[in-house]
Amino acid sequence: MQKNLKTEFCGLKLNSPIVLLSGCVGFGEEYTRIDGFSNADVGAICLKGTTLEPRLGNMPHRVTETPSGMINAIGLQNPGTDMVINDIMPNLDKSETRFIINISGSSVEEYGEITKRFDDTDIDAIEINISCPNVKEGGVAFGNDPDMSYRVVDICRKNTSKAIITKLSPNQTDIAFSAQRCIDAGTDGLAVINTLMGMSIDTNTKKPIIGNNQGGLSGPAIKPIALLKVHQVYQISKHHNVPIIGQGGITTANDAIEFIVAGAATIGIGTALFYNPLVCHKINDGISQYLTDNKLDSIDELVGTLALNNFISSCK
Amino acid sequence: MNRSTIQVVDCQILAHYQFESAQFILTLASDSIAQKTKPGQFVHITVSDALAMRRPISIMSVDAKNGTFDLLYKVVGEGTRQLSERKVGDVLSIIGPIGNGFKLTDKKLPLLIGGGVGMPPMIAIAQQIKDTDYDPFVILGSEVPFPFTPELSKMGNPCPKVSHTMPLLEGWGVACRLASLQGYEGVFKGFVTDLARTYLDALSVEDLVQVEVYACGPHPMLEAVANLAKEYNLPCQVSLEEYMACAVGGCAGCVVKVQTNQGVAMKRVCVDGPVFDVTTVF
Ligand SMILES: Cc1cc2nc3c(=O)[nH]c(=O)nc-3n(C[C@H](O)[C@H](O)[C@H](O)COP(=O)(O)OP(=O)(O)OC[C@H]3O[C@@H](n4cnc5c(N)ncnc54)[C@H](O)[C@@H]3O)c2cc1C
Ligand SMILES: Cc1cc2nc3c(=O)[nH]c(=O)nc-3n(C[C@H](O)[C@H](O)[C@H](O)COP(=O)(O)O)c2cc1C
Ligand code: FES
Repeated sequence: MQKNLKTEFCGLKLNSPIVLLSGCVGFGEEYTRIDGFSNADVGAICLKGTTLEPRLGNMPHRVTETPSGMINAIGLQNPGTDMVINDIMPNLDKSETRFIINISGSSVEEYGEITKRFDDTDIDAIEINISCPNVKEGGVAFGNDPDMSYRVVDICRKNTSKAIITKLSPNQTDIAFSAQRCIDAGTDGLAVINTLMGMSIDTNTKKPIIGNNQGGLSGPAIKPIALLKVHQVYQISKHHNVPIIGQGGITTANDAIEFIVAGAATIGIGTALFYNPLVCHKINDGISQYLTDNKLDSIDELVGTLALNNFISSCK
Repeated sequence: MNRSTIQVVDCQILAHYQFESAQFILTLASDSIAQKTKPGQFVHITVSDALAMRRPISIMSVDAKNGTFDLLYKVVGEGTRQLSERKVGDVLSIIGPIGNGFKLTDKKLPLLIGGGVGMPPMIAIAQQIKDTDYDPFVILGSEVPFPFTPELSKMGNPCPKVSHTMPLLEGWGVACRLASLQGYEGVFKGFVTDLARTYLDALSVEDLVQVEVYACGPHPMLEAVANLAKEYNLPCQVSLEEYMACAVGGCAGCVVKVQTNQGVAMKRVCVDGPVFDVTTVF
């Protein structure tokens, strides 16, 4: 791994600024089936959204392609907190990368309880998902209400000394205000953004293609939206030294650099893996080369270096 | 976990033949896929630059010596349409081989039933066991003209009056008969399961216990096969389809409901399947 890619995020030492995103790489081992793929090529891996009790998830179809992206409604299928802790975590190779658990609850108390259980493990950090669009109770309902977001982050904060990352929903009016409330409640980092809600219809049957009727839109289609949200959140988070995992439609090194310039300290890769399971090599190489070409020693020097145009009022 | 079992390879198109009703046979070059594939496995293909999500297609046959493999697909939507426009010499990005594949058991009379574009995995099994002590019988069904020219079979006929077979299988010395409601010449007029019944009813009691059913095809066909297997008390493995994103087990996008000892589970077609014991899924 190139030396200039090393970075730190919420106190975690990372090999690379790439974070593999929750829900796209199962519980950390799935992509190692691919010859040439290594967890050591990424800085951290967010494990699948985990709830207190096991969940079967939604009925099929759960995924479908849409223009420049895809819709998913998995419905947080997972084996439950105890199984993740007892059966899955012991098998993770922690020498390769950092592991972040992604948690979801249907009540504030459930978020608190799951956090408490993971606090007793060797997980590297906890990502609070208050932005899942695909479950009936909880999820995005917490993320779209800044006061509820505050309460969720607050209870998690009280239950762990590990780093907490709060994953924000783009499906809300003022993401920056929400970010502020999560920072007030003590989040160490922010993940921006989760999927946008969307729909796809089969015109033969006049039914939604996705079993859950609606789902979360990801992939290049959401990149410009995600980039603006990262920029908006960074205007708040930079004053508190709260770093951002920028995500939403990143498929190339150039996309990643755009997010870093907008204010992301690390960048998330999800849907791009479905296109090309070996995409991380290209992104690492591209970022490293860009740093070298621009005579920068590390990513930190690039974060939030956006130079806004200062003639944004309309031309007279 | 089985690390590094799936390759990401750029495969050149060596041949691409069109048959009636927008069916295509595609020959691709890859030593590793040709050598590693087990019957019932599939590949995940980038069909064009315009569509980034891949499409899953079963591997029909392999030529391990020359490092090639064949796919049979039908155009049903935009992805398969764009695939059909790719030319000989073009290069496709392929992930594979993927999936658990069929388990060959000690039952020596495999009954292979393939419907429509569910034919390829049956042909893959036939290829694997053609020179062994298994004595398979293949039934292929189609409601559009078959993606090959049916020919009169010279092999012993377990189903009187049904005379035609797939030339590839005939060449391998694997007995096969065809079924369709369309009334094609030499082809059984009816469902694949009706033809299967004729075959099974002609077997002795000792032979019947040697039968294991393997099937792939549209959902209603698999349901009928499930009922047939139950009626004759035969073990049966079926290959299922579901919409996929990653095809390596990462997204849980491709699940089907499966009965397990612990109750209902949602299993991934890509890596827990695509082949399942019929009694767990129907
Ligand atoms: C394990 C497996 C093996 C397969 N083997 C073959 C084969 O050998 N030959 C063949 O012709 N077809 C096969 N299929 C079906 C084939 O994948 C679909 O016909 C194809 O994905 C349709 O894509 P499209 O863009 O043309 O259709 P559209 O309907 O436009 O596709 C829209 C989306 O739905 C998905 N989709 C639609 N139908 C299916 C389906 N039946 N299965 C999975 N995804 C679907 C597509 O991948 C795409 O993401 C197989 C499917 C699976 C899961
Ligand atoms: C199939 C799938 C499953 C997902 N599951 C989760 C999840 O369990 N928890 C979560 O916080 N985000 C989940 N996400 C959202 C991703 O982590 C990510 O935020 C989003 O897809 C945007 O990034 P991308 O465009 O690079 O995929 C999921 C996304 C996809 C595509
Ligand atoms: S397609 Fe992702 S788990 Fe099967």
